[in-house]
Amino acid sequence: MERRSFLKGFGTVTACAALIPSITNAADEAKKVTGPNEMSTESAIAAITGGKPVSPSAKVSLSAPEIAENGAVVPVKVSVESPMSANDYVKAIHILASKNNNTRCANVYLTPANGEASFGTRIKLGATQDVLAIVEMSNGTFLSAKQNVKVTIGGCG
Amino acid sequence: MKTLIKIKPNSYKVGDIVKVDFMAMHPMESGMRKDKDTGAIVPAHYINEVNFLFNDKVLTKMVTWESLSVNPVLSISLKVSGAGTLKVLAKDNKGESVETSAAITPKG
Repeated sequence: MERRSFLKGFGTVTACAALIPSITNAADEAKKVTGPNEMSTESAIAAITGGKPVSPSAKVSLSAPEIAENGAVVPVKVSVESPMSANDYVKAIHILASKNNNTRCANVYLTPANGEASFGTRIKLGATQDVLAIVEMSNGTFLSAKQNVKVTIGGCG
Repeated sequence: MKTLIKIKPNSYKVGDIVKVDFMAMHPMESGMRKDKDTGAIVPAHYINEVNFLFNDKVLTKMVTWESLSVNPVLSISLKVSGAGTLKVLAKDNKGESVETSAAITPKG
């Protein structure tokens, strides 16, 4: 009898343990479809760098307007000084809008075939805030640049 | 989803660095906006994955989020190593995917 109850208990515990990750994954997946996604700047940076230090660098140039009249369309351009050779290149450029509900705008993973480390797009900004560029180099270091953009009319909602 | 690839400048040689613009017609709904008439929240609908391939080799991979503007433009550089096709695969969070390609034809 004891053995039976033990086995029963053991069975339910393992079943629960197996179920928990699948439930959370399903919730995440559902959120991806219906939104809104939420992520703070700190956790977004932590997810990108994995806790490694990020140093501001003059090698990274981030160009965005100082005053954006319409927050719905803010042109952002990032370029990084790099030879883009097989062993020294820019691995990734991440663009973050610090005060948006979901900070992440785009994560761009480059290869040496790009020839030049540059990325440009247009983003939505909900309010006056800093736009950040986090750059991952092939040697594992992280560089950053930021610019404050004043938004007259918010672009979200 | 309507898409377009633009390559600037028009004529280029092997070894040149060209600018590649990928444009998509997409609402990029953030999931926070309310419908003006009904008051219901419009569900999120945005492009979340864009992959650039040159001659079937990965050139650039992107993970994008709802913070991109409506009808986003994504521009990157490409060092022309020879003739070939540039393919762009874009996917949105509702599972719709589009494949667009453009020919790379260096002169001289």
